[in-house]
Amino acid sequence: MAFSLSYREKSLYASLVAELVVYGPYFFLHHENTVNKVAGMIVSIIVLQIILQSLIAAFTRQRLTDERDKLIELRGYRAGYLTIASLMVLGLGALWFHTASGDFQFESRMVGLHFLNVFFGMLVISDVVKTATQIVAYRRSI
Amino acid sequence: MPAIRNQIRELRALRNITQQELADKVGVTRQTVIAIEQDKYSPSLETAFKVASVLGVPIEQCFQYDPKGKR
Repeated sequence: MAFSLSYREKSLYASLVAELVVYGPYFFLHHENTVNKVAGMIVSIIVLQIILQSLIAAFTRQRLTDERDKLIELRGYRAGYLTIASLMVLGLGALWFHTASGDFQFESRMVGLHFLNVFFGMLVISDVVKTATQIVAYRRSI
Repeated sequence: MPAIRNQIRELRALRNITQQELADKVGVTRQTVIAIEQDKYSPSLETAFKVASVLGVPIEQCFQYDPKGKR
């Protein structure tokens, strides 16, 4: 293979897999999300990331990162920031609209949990966008 | 055409240096050397000087700037 994967690239693929494996089922399979499930998901992603990153570090001889890696990392963070900023504006706008029009009538004990899910979802989406942007940048060899 | 072009591949071939050897001497990854050689990534000034130094040529022999090129 003319263009083998660098340490950073392998690490990014592992992060993307961990994010999709842990967050995917949470957002698409669970209809009643609870605080315990959010906590469980955070613990799961941390444990999975530690295992995957340790394995990659153990099996990668050269773990050098250079200026191009830093540039690609910055591009990823910029994409992630733009995503979360856009989602915040859209999310808060939608919330204001539906609340003002009377579509949403939350039980007071559910409001916190609902916001936790919505904002955590935004964080997750922006994190996945950040990682995916970096992988695309590596694949395009910029 | 890119704004910054280079002759790294040719100079490297003349000196019989592999991409990995050049990368190790310059302090970058092999993937970065590949990206530079393919004109897909323009290195920093410091890296460009290091590359020229490792290849033993003046920087202008290694890298050329084309003002009409795409950045």
